[in-house]
Amino acid sequence: MAKLVGVFAASHGPLMARDWHILPSAPKERLDTAFRELGRRLADARPDVLILVSPDHWVNFFINNLPSVCIGVGETHDGPPEPFMKDFQRTLPGEPGLAMHIVKTALAQDFEPSISHRLTLDHGFCIPLLRMGLARLPRVIPMVVNDLEPPMPSIRRCLAWGRLLAQAVASYPGDLRVAIMATGGLSHSIGEPTMGDIDEPFDHGCIEAFRDGHDAKVIEILERGLAATGNGGHEVRNWVVAHGAAGSRGFELVDYLPVPEVYVGCAFAAWRVAESLQEAA
Amino acid sequence: MTDYWLSKLFFDLQSPANAAEYRGGRAKVLARYPELKPELRAAALADDVEVLAPHVNPYLLRYYFQVVGMPDKEFIGRLRALKPQSLKTEALKSGAAHG
Repeated sequence: MAKLVGVFAASHGPLMARDWHILPSAPKERLDTAFRELGRRLADARPDVLILVSPDHWVNFFINNLPSVCIGVGETHDGPPEPFMKDFQRTLPGEPGLAMHIVKTALAQDFEPSISHRLTLDHGFCIPLLRMGLARLPRVIPMVVNDLEPPMPSIRRCLAWGRLLAQAVASYPGDLRVAIMATGGLSHSIGEPTMGDIDEPFDHGCIEAFRDGHDAKVIEILERGLAATGNGGHEVRNWVVAHGAAGSRGFELVDYLPVPEVYVGCAFAAWRVAESLQEAA
Repeated sequence: MTDYWLSKLFFDLQSPANAAEYRGGRAKVLARYPELKPELRAAALADDVEVLAPHVNPYLLRYYFQVVGMPDKEFIGRLRALKPQSLKTEALKSGAAHG
């Protein structure tokens, strides 16, 4: 049977790639250290498959066709189209068997994800992969969560999606080691009057709630906080998916630093993973 | 309120080839969007953040002003001068979620 061996999260601002060469040394070194620490932990978990939870930044989807959740079930996915990511690999291997099992598990429980047999994975998916310095990239299953354009999935639904991912992994008959990486957040603001602002109280509230692990607190903090913080904060939905998948057992914060140069409250975390589905329930 | 054709224009300009063509002559590219409202066409030609912002996703708005070469500092300055109630992003803050 497949086994969930690690659950992680990392921020992903595009300037972490485009402007990497001109970032001041202090935040750049801390970002580099945090990404590499996550990379070390991910490598230590020896995953065969990595489920990546990220928004689509208007690459695969537009307002004529905008799923709340899309699972990438293809054998291959395309690498990032952004010019500043051109040196990253052009294709990424997928894992159709487990991906389709996740979709079927979801449908059996009255979730209705969209599916794609070939997604293009933008900077949101790929910046953590680029910066973690992995010697070997696992096969990937992309999970797109609409964090960009309202209406968006509720926080409760994201939590339920996390639980469902864990259940699907545990019930998959293949002998696979599976990790989850949520990307995005914490606070940032794009294309609105607060662009450039970093909402540290919001960020610390999220971190405290995820660290404590109480679902009710996570939901309360986010339902209240997202109404007031910058639009990029909606990407914390992906962290909620990770939190749910890990069984809400709390996480270890690897680092948090607000980096005005990339406009993002940058955070990096590794969850304590539930040993069994009963524990996660 | 979201404007479909303005959003479509900004979405299409993510292609480097389309972006280069637009920078070389906006009118020719805009002509391919005959359903784009005249006031939004004029705002695109004038780099009018205030008129454009309420009608398009903020991420697409940012892409657009990157395409036309407006430095972030100037873009942020123009955003900060906007009245909050005129922005599309305000809709996002009020009732964004569904189940």
